[in-house]
Amino acid sequence: MTPLDFDAIVVGSGMTGGWAAKELTELGLRTLVLEAGRPIVPEQDYVEHKPPWEMPFRGLGDRRAVAARQPVQSHSASFDELSHVFWTDDADNPYSTPPDRPFFWFRARQVGGKSIIWGRQVYRWSDLDFAANLRDGIAVDWPIRYADIAPWYDHVERFIGVSGQAEGLAHLPDGQFLPPMALNCVEQHVQHRIADQFGRARVLTIGRVANLTVQHNGRAPCHYCGPCQRGCITRSYFSSVNATLPAAQATGRLTLRPFSIVKGLIVSGNRVTGVRVIDANTRADRVYSARVIFLCASALESARILLNSGLGNSSGQVGRNIMDHIKWGGASGVFDGWTDARTIGERPNGIYVPRFRNVTSRHPDFIRGYGFQGGAGRAGWQAALHAPGIGPALKARLSDLGPWSMSFGGFGEMLPREANRATLHPTLVDAWGIPSLHIECQWSENELAIHRDMNVTAAELLEAAGAKNIEPNTSGPSTPGGTNHEMGTARMGRDPKTSVLNGWNQSWDVPNLFVTDGAAMTSSSCQNPSLTYMALTARACHYAVAQLKRRDL
Amino acid sequence: MERRELIRWLVATAGLQSLNALGATDLLALGRDVHRRPLRRVVSTRAERTVAVAAERILPGATEANVGAFIEKMLADWHTPAERERFLAGLADLDTRCRARAAHDFVDCSETDQIAVLTALDDEVFAAGTKDHWFARLKYLTVYGYCTSEIGMRALHLYPAPWRYDGCAPV
Repeated sequence: MTPLDFDAIVVGSGMTGGWAAKELTELGLRTLVLEAGRPIVPEQDYVEHKPPWEMPFRGLGDRRAVAARQPVQSHSASFDELSHVFWTDDADNPYSTPPDRPFFWFRARQVGGKSIIWGRQVYRWSDLDFAANLRDGIAVDWPIRYADIAPWYDHVERFIGVSGQAEGLAHLPDGQFLPPMALNCVEQHVQHRIADQFGRARVLTIGRVANLTVQHNGRAPCHYCGPCQRGCITRSYFSSVNATLPAAQATGRLTLRPFSIVKGLIVSGNRVTGVRVIDANTRADRVYSARVIFLCASALESARILLNSGLGNSSGQVGRNIMDHIKWGGASGVFDGWTDARTIGERPNGIYVPRFRNVTSRHPDFIRGYGFQGGAGRAGWQAALHAPGIGPALKARLSDLGPWSMSFGGFGEMLPREANRATLHPTLVDAWGIPSLHIECQWSENELAIHRDMNVTAAELLEAAGAKNIEPNTSGPSTPGGTNHEMGTARMGRDPKTSVLNGWNQSWDVPNLFVTDGAAMTSSSCQNPSLTYMALTARACHYAVAQLKRRDL
Repeated sequence: MERRELIRWLVATAGLQSLNALGATDLLALGRDVHRRPLRRVVSTRAERTVAVAAERILPGATEANVGAFIEKMLADWHTPAERERFLAGLADLDTRCRARAAHDFVDCSETDQIAVLTALDDEVFAAGTKDHWFARLKYLTVYGYCTSEIGMRALHLYPAPWRYDGCAPV
């Protein structure tokens, strides 16, 4: 028998691939990480301190190049003139949607993946989420409950470093928190007024964020420079490049291979025996073999690999149940006072209002719920961009901080529906000849009702806080995919007939194949999902290694 | 300017051959000069002066912050040809207004007349409530260019970064 190249292969080096690399190598496995994109060298590639005047378009971006090469990626919240290099080229990586149903598929191909450009908000999910499908009789039941994942949330939080405030809410469990970032003056005021009016029924807290407030595991605390999406030379926010991949490297058992585009998995019987890779530069084709394979390529990419491999899909659920979070509902308002106060520095974080709909009572129009993110501040010189007047009067306005205003923006849960689906496109291929996806995904009435309610309750919060000129958001709901929380395309479940993975992120059909990115989600919660992906990845790695040791894999 | 762009520019202007004759100091100076200039000349020297003077009248200090070069860069490589034409037509209209008032093109008018014409234009644009007007664009680019320049950011205490966060600091 030919010796295997590696003990384990991990496809993807981002949020979950980095975790798989760290756990598997620390547990003794010789591990190959395959990354489709380029390597990242922080000392060269992190450019967060580059001032605007050194950018050709001063931060407004190369509009023509973006229109030609990144028309989809540019909709991502953290896409800018410098960070755009951390997203893929849409021309090289095409996909299709029905013309009247756009879907934003944000993709990042480099070592670190989307962990370089994520929003860093981390919230635990609870049994309000894990029991939701069973309670509502929707889709399939999660095969796990909070008790199964809680120790792994601890494990991940202790390593990545999460700053936050414990609140003692059962449906938003507290975690292993570093000291919280500060609320600013107006946010503190709003917090108190909301507490006066709503008690513990609606709570405003500081965001829980994977940015360090104190030195942690050899990484420096945040220095509040602002544009995290351009990298972080002090390694103050969590990314795989900043934390998990160096830990894996330190074991001496990691092989990281960039420019390696996975074409498909090779199967023999009910086992995956290898991964077929195209070298992105030379286009040479080669196969790597291992005992166990982890797909951590992001929800839609992992589904694409499975579909292109014709693998793991006896349930017919691969590619189905695409979920994202619906956003852009909310409101903003203006506050009199605090004219003698300002903020100094750029806090990479905002406020959070945990879900309060359908927690203890029942809303007549929708099931599930949403949380608010947002914050308060003063506009400063940006208000002068459209101000009347010229000359010294206009110049004086640049130094006028303007009134305090505050906004709340909702993130709402999306229900899993089989019709929201990615399939292989019959003809469209990417620049390497690999079949692309056709994606059909749209909001249902439940999400739209959630979106409408966001405007109402955000205005209630602002009114309770004494804001003036309260204006609801009028932009309508976000485009599906636009929140960058896509998930659900290879769901976990209790029955091989209706789910792709069991309760250990293990393929029902192919036991030595694990899928631990967003694809595994059975429902979407309304809380940001990355922490749950990471915790499930670590948990699955420990399970897989235990199975290997018992020779059950 | 990216190095690739610089080389493309040097080739396009037949500047590459003469580089061999230059010493290190000259090359550095040339490099700096190239960085300051837009890739392509899309506006006349006359229009360039009109933009620079108008920017200074709109926001005193704009000249020192080299806002004109930023606006040229945006006209050359960011705006669409249609947007650029509309902007240049606006500059011509500015000259027409100045000639009607003071018998000179904008740049040759007295500062008082320049300010009077720009103020009237500003009032008109605001009364019409349109952000789409060429003059609203000029003002936007002037304010944005100044506030993202090193001189502007230092003057507004936006640079260097404070390296800390205070959510309730005195003004």
